[in-house]
Amino acid sequence: MILSKPFQYMTPINTGVLRKWCVLLIMVLIIGAQVDARANSKTVEQNYGKTPDEYVPYKKFSNPYKKFFLEPNEYLGYGRNIPEPDHIDTIDIGFLGPIEKTVSVATGGASHEEDLGKKMLLGARLAIEHANEHKGYRGKGIPFRLVVRNDNGLWGASANEIIDLAYNERVWAILGTIDGANSHIAIRTALKAELVVMNSGNTDPTYTETAIPWAFRCITDDRQMCYLLADYVFKKLGLSRVAALRANNRYGRISIDEFRDAATRIGKPFITELNYRVGDTDFSRQLERIKALKPDAVMTYGDARESALILKQIRAMGLDVWFIGSDRIVSDEFIENVDGSLEKVIAGHPYNPLSRDEKAVAFKTAFEEKFGESAETFAAHAYDGMNMIIDAIEKGGLNRAKIRDELAAMTTYHGVSGLKRFDPIFNNISNTYLAIGNGNQFEFLTRDQAFK
Amino acid sequence: MRTKNQKLKVIRLFAGVLICLLAAAPAISADASIDPVPFVYQNWEVFYKGSNGLPNDHIFSLCADKGVLWVGTEGGLARYEKDEWRSWTKADGLPWEVITSIKVSEKTGDVWLGMFGGGLVRFSGGRFDQFTQFNSGLVNDVIYGITILEDNVWVATAAGVSAYNTVSGQWQIFNEKNAPMEEIWCYNVDAADGKVFVAVWGGGVLEWDERTRRWDAHRDPDREMEIDLFRDDGLIHIITTSVSYTKGILWAATYFGMSRYDGTSWRGYMDHDSGLVSNFINFNISPDGNTCYAATDKGLSVLCDYQSDTWVTYRRAAPDVKQWTAHMNRGKQEIRVLKTNLTLPNDFVICAALMGEDLWIGTGHGLARGTGQGYYPGVKPMMKGGLQ
Repeated sequence: MILSKPFQYMTPINTGVLRKWCVLLIMVLIIGAQVDARANSKTVEQNYGKTPDEYVPYKKFSNPYKKFFLEPNEYLGYGRNIPEPDHIDTIDIGFLGPIEKTVSVATGGASHEEDLGKKMLLGARLAIEHANEHKGYRGKGIPFRLVVRNDNGLWGASANEIIDLAYNERVWAILGTIDGANSHIAIRTALKAELVVMNSGNTDPTYTETAIPWAFRCITDDRQMCYLLADYVFKKLGLSRVAALRANNRYGRISIDEFRDAATRIGKPFITELNYRVGDTDFSRQLERIKALKPDAVMTYGDARESALILKQIRAMGLDVWFIGSDRIVSDEFIENVDGSLEKVIAGHPYNPLSRDEKAVAFKTAFEEKFGESAETFAAHAYDGMNMIIDAIEKGGLNRAKIRDELAAMTTYHGVSGLKRFDPIFNNISNTYLAIGNGNQFEFLTRDQAFK
Repeated sequence: MRTKNQKLKVIRLFAGVLICLLAAAPAISADASIDPVPFVYQNWEVFYKGSNGLPNDHIFSLCADKGVLWVGTEGGLARYEKDEWRSWTKADGLPWEVITSIKVSEKTGDVWLGMFGGGLVRFSGGRFDQFTQFNSGLVNDVIYGITILEDNVWVATAAGVSAYNTVSGQWQIFNEKNAPMEEIWCYNVDAADGKVFVAVWGGGVLEWDERTRRWDAHRDPDREMEIDLFRDDGLIHIITTSVSYTKGILWAATYFGMSRYDGTSWRGYMDHDSGLVSNFINFNISPDGNTCYAATDKGLSVLCDYQSDTWVTYRRAAPDVKQWTAHMNRGKQEIRVLKTNLTLPNDFVICAALMGEDLWIGTGHGLARGTGQGYYPGVKPMMKGGLQ
């Protein structure tokens, strides 16, 4: 009885306290879990390439076993230990681009990118001149010098040229190039030779998806431009039947990928995807088939001239549909060839060429004064890319690995083509612009402006 | 006559001893159990430019041919035999000094050199014969890999694959026009048993069957660059850097891990799920199908035994550590760390070769030989603590 009393007395009280403690504990655990979840949500990794959730591959079906490109590419070689040269007369930087007209297997027939390559060269030259106006390398009076090579020749010419630049010219870094195949060939070669390649003209997303710690890009790629285009086409305009007619080369095949994937992943796949050969002028065969499918829009990825001809022929057929193009249509060549209204024409664009930013204005003025022509995307990005290289040389010194390190450390860069932000694999993931036809000109809208 | 109590005491004593023995048995067993372990290269010799006769310290390729080691560097060719070195540079008639691949023809003894920008070179009878894209059927002068299958020298270039028949003198070119190459940037090539495998950068692995004269393609099934959807569904990634084919087993290296294919099933290896130290693999070589050497940017990882998933990685524990260590893994789990006397200043391993029982590795700065005295393939039961 003596023992049972306290037992009997304590039991109901203990149960009540226990219940209260349990409730309290559960509440603490719930709150704790929520706090933890919030804390974790801050550190949740961003999708690679700022991919919107609905465009993430296989998102609806499975989590991938492994995600790549979320951590920085590392260079772990011996290069940083290589001593700087005792004496040097010039600081040589390579330029690789399509600057000579050729008939090339690499470009699928007649070459077509020389106009872009020449603009790129002028942008690079201007950057070198500006650096030399400030007494060259570290103000020591050692001038920067551009070593120019054409990549538009024989199949794989870019590889040969990189070898020449790396081992014969002994350049400290290279700016190049435009063509996707040549760019890939160049960085594979540069990886072995341990030499930086800064790309300012190739928008192929796969360029930096190679884990090469020597490959950099200062122009925003087609992944970013296609996401914005897809959002605009499907969410803002509410279109659903998009037909594709693209160039039958690597540019047309690869660069349209992200739009095609995005469309498929939100349940609005291309109603057809046809192609044409570079240099074609008559697209009636493909357009008749497209017309029969009653599209809401026709999308093309190719050069300015062919894109303009496609648009003209679409309009001539009486097809009043949206025309979606690549950034290459945002050019004088496209506008001249269309020779008419650009209503219902849209394209992604890596930057705002009409920006009133002080740097942008100064660059355009200097470019026009120097060369007597206007700067455009290839010139502006080449100027920025070359300046990034020069900055890296100034900081890193005359050591290729340290120059690489300085570029890898640049997470942002404010250039004449705007404020750039780089991801862990040294790709420019800055916000892109939407170029929308208005009259016979393009307007450039940010995402926010486009969706207002 | 023992009393009942005495008998009980004896029984208790025996029982106590028995219990003690049973209790001690696991401890004894744990200390002296049989543990299958691989051979570990602990004794190394290093070689540098100048002191040992190498023309350059940036080692790009190695080829072991019987008792001779050929070394391709960023600045010339070297030959090592019985502690004697000889080297060749441009001054000695070498057409170009950056050598990324070497193979010796078993049939003729000719040494074939893949030049990084200098085309294909045959070194025979003291003479260098150069084949370039301008004087032959070589598709591009930037060569990443070569191999020999019967009379054909196969060359992986920046613009496709060329095959040179050394008997007929005829060339074949394979690129996107006549092979399933999504890209034409070929990084490495290996051949055996009538098959040629090509590591195509951005195009996976291509398989050529000499008998049927047809190509097959092995690609990453998920078709995405930024992910590997499932571990063992196929090739890890289409950015392939090296292939090794031996005894019906294909080993494919990428910058995203390594894959093994036995003709039926694929197996993937990455740094987070295996003993592979890094996903960034410059080169791989498998001598017997069961073992594979992966030259990575963080050291040399060796899958010593496929069945037991036993690995040894030779690396520096940290960038400022002078002496390399050998890290033994069973799968992802590190089970032992052993000292070595290897002191190369950089563990960015670019190439590897096996010569007899010795293991050679070429790095971004220096060459080293691991002495394989007592070498055995795979794993061998050994008392725990048998390796120090």
